[in-house]
Amino acid sequence: MAARDMAIRAADVRLTLGGAAPVEILKGIDLQVADGESLALLGASGSGKSSLMAVLSGLERATSGRVEVAGADFGALDEDGLAVARRGRIGIVLQAFHLLPTMTARENVAVPMELAGEGDAFARAEAELAAVGLSHRLHHYPAQLSGGEQQRVAIARALGPRPRIVFADEPTGNLDAATGEQVMDLLFDRRAATGATLVVITHDHALARRCDRVITLADGRIAA
Amino acid sequence: MSGWSLAWRLARRELSARFRGLRLLLLCLFLGVGALAAIGGLGDAIGGELASRGRVLLGGDVELSVSQRLADPPELAAMRAAGRVSETVRMQSMAVTAAGATAPVQLKAVDGGYPLYGRLTLADGRAVRAPATDMVWVARALAERLSLRVGDPLRFGTARFRVGGVIADEPDRLGEGFTLGPVAIVSRAGLDRTGLVQPGSLFETKYRLAAAGDPARVVARFERRFPTAGWETRTRDRASPGASRFVARMGEFLTLVGLAALVIAGIGVGNGVGSYLEARRGSIAMLKVLGATSGVVARVYLLQLLAVTGVGILLGLAAGIVAVPLVGLAVGAVLPVAPGLTVAPAPLLLAAAYGLLIALGFCAPPLVAAGRLPAAALLRGALDARTGGGWRGVAWSTAAGAPVAVLALLTTGRPAFAAAFLGGTAAALAILAAIGAAIRAGTAHLPRPRRPLARLALAALHRPGSRTVSLVVALGLGLTMFVLLASIRTSIDANIRRSVPERAPALFALDVPPEREGEFRRTVAAAAPGATVATVPLMRGTITGYGTTRVADLATIPEGAWVLRGERGLTFAAAPPSGSTLTAGRWWTAAEGRGALVSIDERLAGALGLRIGDPLTVSVLGLERTARISSFRRIAWDTLGFNFVMVFSPGALGDVPHNLAATIDMPAARSAAVTRALLPRFPSTSVVEVGGVLRQVQDVVGQMATAIGVAAGIAVLAGTAVLLGAIAAARAARTYDAVMLKVLGATRRQVLATQAMEYAALAAIVGAVALILGAGGGWFVVTRVFGFDWLPDWGVVLATLVGGAAATVAIGVAGTLPVLRAKPAAALRAL
Repeated sequence: MAARDMAIRAADVRLTLGGAAPVEILKGIDLQVADGESLALLGASGSGKSSLMAVLSGLERATSGRVEVAGADFGALDEDGLAVARRGRIGIVLQAFHLLPTMTARENVAVPMELAGEGDAFARAEAELAAVGLSHRLHHYPAQLSGGEQQRVAIARALGPRPRIVFADEPTGNLDAATGEQVMDLLFDRRAATGATLVVITHDHALARRCDRVITLADGRIAA
Repeated sequence: MSGWSLAWRLARRELSARFRGLRLLLLCLFLGVGALAAIGGLGDAIGGELASRGRVLLGGDVELSVSQRLADPPELAAMRAAGRVSETVRMQSMAVTAAGATAPVQLKAVDGGYPLYGRLTLADGRAVRAPATDMVWVARALAERLSLRVGDPLRFGTARFRVGGVIADEPDRLGEGFTLGPVAIVSRAGLDRTGLVQPGSLFETKYRLAAAGDPARVVARFERRFPTAGWETRTRDRASPGASRFVARMGEFLTLVGLAALVIAGIGVGNGVGSYLEARRGSIAMLKVLGATSGVVARVYLLQLLAVTGVGILLGLAAGIVAVPLVGLAVGAVLPVAPGLTVAPAPLLLAAAYGLLIALGFCAPPLVAAGRLPAAALLRGALDARTGGGWRGVAWSTAAGAPVAVLALLTTGRPAFAAAFLGGTAAALAILAAIGAAIRAGTAHLPRPRRPLARLALAALHRPGSRTVSLVVALGLGLTMFVLLASIRTSIDANIRRSVPERAPALFALDVPPEREGEFRRTVAAAAPGATVATVPLMRGTITGYGTTRVADLATIPEGAWVLRGERGLTFAAAPPSGSTLTAGRWWTAAEGRGALVSIDERLAGALGLRIGDPLTVSVLGLERTARISSFRRIAWDTLGFNFVMVFSPGALGDVPHNLAATIDMPAARSAAVTRALLPRFPSTSVVEVGGVLRQVQDVVGQMATAIGVAAGIAVLAGTAVLLGAIAAARAARTYDAVMLKVLGATRRQVLATQAMEYAALAAIVGAVALILGAGGGWFVVTRVFGFDWLPDWGVVLATLVGGAAATVAIGVAGTLPVLRAKPAAALRAL
């Protein structure tokens, strides 16, 4: 594929964690993800899926190797640089939702756009929440929302800034099957509407089959 | 939108209106700033009162006083040339009722010009001047003691008077200083009727001037004209030097207490902020995930902390303002003037500045650490190692802390003392932090106990995320404060008790005519057989020269040479007085004693750099007498016998008109009988019950000790708040442990025992350190600030320490009880 079509380019990425007793989590990952592609990461617990996502999303800095995401070389950036790089480029949906407990649904969705300096953050936040069916929950706090509603807010927050890439780490892990199905339908619909590249970590093979490509990790390497 | 604007919008969303999570910060700043504001306001109010009412307190613009004589015509003419003059004569006397009840009084005879400034008012509201010749105004304390009412007869010396009124306000009361007994005011003519003023009588004459010109120039002219006449001089800006010294000394101590409270509060601030930000770890990491830089995060939480800091400071200032008049009500007798409700900008601004700087200094490390929290912490939880503030946190703390030290040094009258105090406080905190770190590191290497609960208790001290260091610092501070307070209070109490020797005379008598000494002794013996009477000649004078130095030429009084200030009691003796031991030189023989020699206190000799053979000059009755120093003595001041700094040979002062002073040693129960026997025969003699005087002194010192205790209690309160905050901050981890242990089958007793073991281990180690630090601090305050002897009651101190440690363990364990009462399922859901 041509370089300009690549949303993610990772070459020989390694990650070692733990100061006193270091453990090599990623042992040389080579990966390319095209713009607009949807990719599922499968693997057993401890295979390195979440760590790979953390490196690719800029939440973690690789110990060695090259990581280029949405045109930005992550290896050259410090913590603040990575935070700035995520603005407008990367949206993240996490298993435990991680909404800001002291902010309403509307404020939660608006925060990344506010951080990116966009003036119409609240109007767009309301539109995103309407798109995920929560226009009646704009002023509710996370503690007042169900699990499914919280995850929908998280999806709206991730997609609100129109990122080029969306990472979702076990987005249905804390939800029942029916709710999880609804959330994933919503995620794929919204992703299709915005054209974002999607990387999903999941144990669910059925969910994985919905993606354009599936990669299996084992012991810190791509097995298949 | 600007960075600060965005940060404020984000900050406001998170900040709870009830400051949940930051109440410890609020409380600590409230206590610390409130203490400093109250202390500064109190000192300002009293100092301002003393300064603005100087001429009223003094009774004039200038005061010239002399003992045992009146001003001679040239002196009087010089005074009148400087302005209006009012003459007052003061002396010790006895008030005798018609029924024969007696009381020692300070008899004060005033002329028609009194008071030159202010108003002398009676309880019935009248503003009066000198009473009629046969009338007396009495102080309320005298009226109460002798059950006097207006119109009742009262005798002084050989003259009878009628009580004309009870004094409500004596404008120059404070300027008079300490007196043996309440005041009774008569006219000058009334005093003449009493026959009390005779050659050799002990009395003091004060001439107050309403000066036309600069008071300092008036005094300087007068002193130049009459340098050896023995005059003491004061101007209105030093109306009450004793009160000013007291206020200054107490103010310094209280300021240090306030600073200590604020530093301790700073620890609480740091702990509280640390806990607050720790609880927001997830939110902070998520903000980073969403694109917030460390600068944005730091700004968001800095603004929150500044908002709460502002509220805490404002509340503290308000409390400080209100506290000033309340303190005046509570400890009124200790203070020289009663402070009212005032708003003094300077001390309030200073207290606010201290509060803000302390808050910034102690908030900086956790704030910087929060900014440094990586986004990946969201995935890795509490075990992230990158949570320290680093050098940037230290730099911010230093930048905020340095002005605190500079302010403290600039605003105190004793910068070296303040520097030592601040340095000692910083060292104590560093020691406690080092011990906390040592405990944390050391327990990780201890052998793992076999019993799981003991293993858990030990692991809690060093596990990742444990709060051992902050807990040790808070615990150490709290226990140190308990020891400090106990050692200060018990030391001062012991000093007060020691002020009463086991054996003290029952009575003092002043102005016993020497030619009637035999009759005096016989009268005492008849009323109290077996009583021991000791007499000494007594006169008053001032030291005007020593060695080659004239006292008038000194710019400042040398350290330890307090005797140069004002008049001293003088005496002469053929033999060395009891209660003294010669340490250099030798006593005079009978022949040598006919010359002019003097024996002086060895400490005075040291302070003035005197040697055997040096001359010493005193002014007595307006004339100078010079004597050669023949010996030094060590004086046992605590015997309450006649102890004199200077004892002259008979040849030096024997020809000076004088009366005798006497001590009467007997069972105190005979005092009333002896007094009743003496007064009719010796109407000019004052008989003072020693016990009553000592009780008066003890009461004042006791109230001062209470004031000191209350002030130190503020620091204890701050330390307790910090301690409770640290325990609360550590509770989250303990709650988790408690719930999981219950789920796994531990009984409530076992869980409580685990936590008790952990707290008890910390308390035992820290308690030993707190004993050393607290005792050291207490020694400093008792001996260096107040000049008392170091006499703590170690039993009480240790009991206080053990009690405080036990209370800490109990409170720490009690925090887990609600969790243990809940069923495991309910507790798990709440986690």
